[in-house]
Amino acid sequence: MKTLKLLSVIIGLSIILFSCGDDNEIDTEKPEIDITIPEAFPTSCNDTIYFGESFTIKFRLTDNIELGSYSIDIHHNFDHHSHSTEVMECNLNPKKTPENPYILIETYDIPIGKNEYITDLPITIPSSNTSGELYDEGDYHFNLSVTDQEGWTTQFGIGIKMMHR
Amino acid sequence: MQHCCINICYAEVEEAFAFMIKSYSIKILVFALGMGFLYSFSYGQTYYQFEGVVVDENNQPITGASVMVYAIKRGDVTDADGYFRIENLLESTHNVEVSFLGYETLVKEVSFKKNKKFKFQLKESSIKLEEVVVEDNYAEHKKRETSLNIDVVDDDYLKQNLGGSLMKSLERLAGVTTIDIGSGQSKPVIRGLGFNRVVVVENNIKHEAQQWGADHGLEIDQYAVDNIEVIKGPSSLMYGSDAIGGVVDMKNKSVPAENSFGGIIDLSGKTNNNFLGTSVSLFARKKHLFAIVRATLLDFGDYRVPTDSVDIYNFRVPLYKNHLRNTAGKEQNLHTSFGVIKDRFQSRFYVSNVNSKGGFFANAHGLEPRNVDHEEHDRSSRDILYPYHKANHFKVINRSSLWSENWELELDLGFQNNFREEWSVYTQHGYMPAVFPESLDFNPEIERQFDKDIYSANIKFLYRLSNKIELNTGINSEYMDNEIGGRGFIIPSFEQLNLGGYFVAKYNFSEKSLLQAGVRYDYGNINTAQYNDWFASPILENGDTTTYEYLQRSANLSRNFSNFSWSIGYNYNPDKWSYKFNIGKSFRMPIAKELAANGVNYHRFSYEVGNADLSPEISYQLDAGIEYESKKFGVGVSPFINYFSNYLYLNPTSRFDRLYGFGNQVFEYTESEVFRFGGEIHARYEITNYLQLGLIGEYVYAEQLSGEKKGFTLPFAPPASAIFNIKYHKPQLAFLTNTFVSLDYRLTATQNNIVPPEEPTDGFQVFNLGLGGDLLLKNQTIDISIQIQNLLNTKYFNHMSYYRLINVPEPSRNFVINVSIPFSVITNAN
Repeated sequence: MKTLKLLSVIIGLSIILFSCGDDNEIDTEKPEIDITIPEAFPTSCNDTIYFGESFTIKFRLTDNIELGSYSIDIHHNFDHHSHSTEVMECNLNPKKTPENPYILIETYDIPIGKNEYITDLPITIPSSNTSGELYDEGDYHFNLSVTDQEGWTTQFGIGIKMMHR
Repeated sequence: MQHCCINICYAEVEEAFAFMIKSYSIKILVFALGMGFLYSFSYGQTYYQFEGVVVDENNQPITGASVMVYAIKRGDVTDADGYFRIENLLESTHNVEVSFLGYETLVKEVSFKKNKKFKFQLKESSIKLEEVVVEDNYAEHKKRETSLNIDVVDDDYLKQNLGGSLMKSLERLAGVTTIDIGSGQSKPVIRGLGFNRVVVVENNIKHEAQQWGADHGLEIDQYAVDNIEVIKGPSSLMYGSDAIGGVVDMKNKSVPAENSFGGIIDLSGKTNNNFLGTSVSLFARKKHLFAIVRATLLDFGDYRVPTDSVDIYNFRVPLYKNHLRNTAGKEQNLHTSFGVIKDRFQSRFYVSNVNSKGGFFANAHGLEPRNVDHEEHDRSSRDILYPYHKANHFKVINRSSLWSENWELELDLGFQNNFREEWSVYTQHGYMPAVFPESLDFNPEIERQFDKDIYSANIKFLYRLSNKIELNTGINSEYMDNEIGGRGFIIPSFEQLNLGGYFVAKYNFSEKSLLQAGVRYDYGNINTAQYNDWFASPILENGDTTTYEYLQRSANLSRNFSNFSWSIGYNYNPDKWSYKFNIGKSFRMPIAKELAANGVNYHRFSYEVGNADLSPEISYQLDAGIEYESKKFGVGVSPFINYFSNYLYLNPTSRFDRLYGFGNQVFEYTESEVFRFGGEIHARYEITNYLQLGLIGEYVYAEQLSGEKKGFTLPFAPPASAIFNIKYHKPQLAFLTNTFVSLDYRLTATQNNIVPPEEPTDGFQVFNLGLGGDLLLKNQTIDISIQIQNLLNTKYFNHMSYYRLINVPEPSRNFVINVSIPFSVITNAN
């Protein structure tokens, strides 16, 4: 009997404790990257970026509350190392040793208070490094990451070609 | 400079030693603490002495047998005539336990009413060796004599629940979970707190490695561990900073019997990862000298998961024959322990070297998910290719103790070296050169290297003022020197010194109730070293001019910390009931990673940044425990409430790093107020003498009350979980002894309480089957235990696994077999 009483007290207490948990709403939704808008770029491995020219990075970013920032990263894939979120198979050039590969890592703020943002970011790719050596042509990776204010993040990555025209 | 510091600590220890020898000064301390009035209670009562002899089946006296009066924990060891004597006992009924290695332990209820002589006869046990004295009763008594919530497991438990790693084997305990990466690498988590919030102690010395890292297990040999105590809840008082979440205290085999020589061969196999393990140990003892040696070899292949592909973020990786690519590993361990044992003195050395090498899941290590050469990796499931890690842990410990009727003095000294490396193919990070320049003087394939020396010294003095009051005081000191190497950077080189002193008093009001109170003061100092990149990164100035700089990742930093902590606990054990209550303040010094991290976490693809201004973590906790134990039925609940005024937390920000990885998301250390509560339940019901039902359940709730993640839980929050168990055991079944069959049904709830970058994890149900027994072949006992883990080959995800983030399910069905063959030769005494 004593055991039963005790158990019921414990269970009662736990119910009270357990039920006072989730009363404040927290944001658990990740931001989204929409690549279906007109002029979205780059979106497939058929997209080529040319050295010495500029192109516009265009995506629609959304979040249920408020966006944070986004980052762009372009690095070589001469060793066929990594990933793509595309469904289609991409034809890669043969593997090779990098000599003077191009690299770009940049981060950008999104204006405060936005839950929708269309990137319209012109980027000029130089054709050579500061010593005048031409950058390597071939397979590269393009990565876009976006965060919201809570720190949730979404990535989009594809293989692209970078060529000299 | 810091090495002088050690000498100072030792000197202080010696001074303290000298101080405590003067036992009358202890009494002064007692009065100072206001305990004097309690002391006076003990006057005016009649005392009895408990004396007698311990003999074997042939009525020959047994020398060296332990006689223990439980609850008050007073004991004696029999002399050459088998005689023992314990004085100053109150009139009462006590449980007395008589034990000696190689004999069955005897537990008897004895009433001390007259000064009567007792005779205890011990029966030789069928297995003459490993049985450490006390086992189950020890666990029960240990629980009753401390106000902390504690679980004790022994060698048999470990064999019957052999997991992928030592910590994984403990996961069945209520309130204990593990954070895993892969099949053999787990870190203990107690009530939702892990890493540097749980202290792991081996042979009284704190095990120090790179605890903050999730990608490797503990460098401890599972076979060498004989007895583990898990303290749930803050235990800073006795174990110092870091014990804010709890303690896993492990002991190696105890001292062998006099004039004995023997050994044990352990063989283990697991089908999931084709694991083969063997461990052989030998022991010998003359009267006063003894030695134990052990060698362990483990080798395992890639482990298997019930899926043929894994989605790492948006990248799908096919798995060859369900093998998680490149998760094979191996381990080679050597131990020796030797020492001297006298009537009132014991000194024992433990020397061990644990060496392991293990692969990481090749597609998910580095800066981003990787497409590796599958053909090369899938050729063999047993080879260990890049990326992998190697760890070597060397340890020398000396434990010496001196004791008398009413006092015990113990000195523990330790030296450890932990050397750990991560190897992988050179990959440029940020602006590292695409091809590694030959002009540099380090191996580009070493991603990370840590070389840590740890010196520890503890001194402990226990004094029984009367049979009601027991005083415990001690000093813990530790100095660490951590050097780093390799091409990547995450934490700087650092030196750290910790010093702490405590005083604990235990007062037995009666047989049934005791009060325990203690205070502790800690001082800590940490110095981190400056680190600059070995490559230059472009810095944009005014938007257009670009300069190249060798960026500074961490600065010279020196921080001092001090803290005063306390704890009060009360136990009341009327008959079959037991009530516990404990309240205390604990603390934890920030570690080098929290103060000065600045690099990529290769398992989460995140960029982690420390904060040099963090204060020590402070936690207040209220624990309770209510237990009912009868022969047929037992139930216990242990609820807790916990408040952190500043929990140190790796907060995911909305920013990205531009200069090191590939634009990885920045995670920053910050402080937030945290409220947690939860508890465990365990119950057992004996349907018949042979059939038993069991239940183990656990729940933790955590919420951040302030800071950027206000309202969120903490990372790796363990989901509510329960194990329903049915066990059939029979002492004698045909030609088998100690046979058992046990089925565990684990039911784990969905975890929706998450923080970025976690995903909610669905609940799951898993069955584990265990069976075993001792087989007697002629005069040789063979102890066999078999387990089938994940009996139905269920595909499920564990919220506590690092690989959960990349959608790797838990291992497929696994047959585990462990065979122990003890052998012994008792040489003729005299």
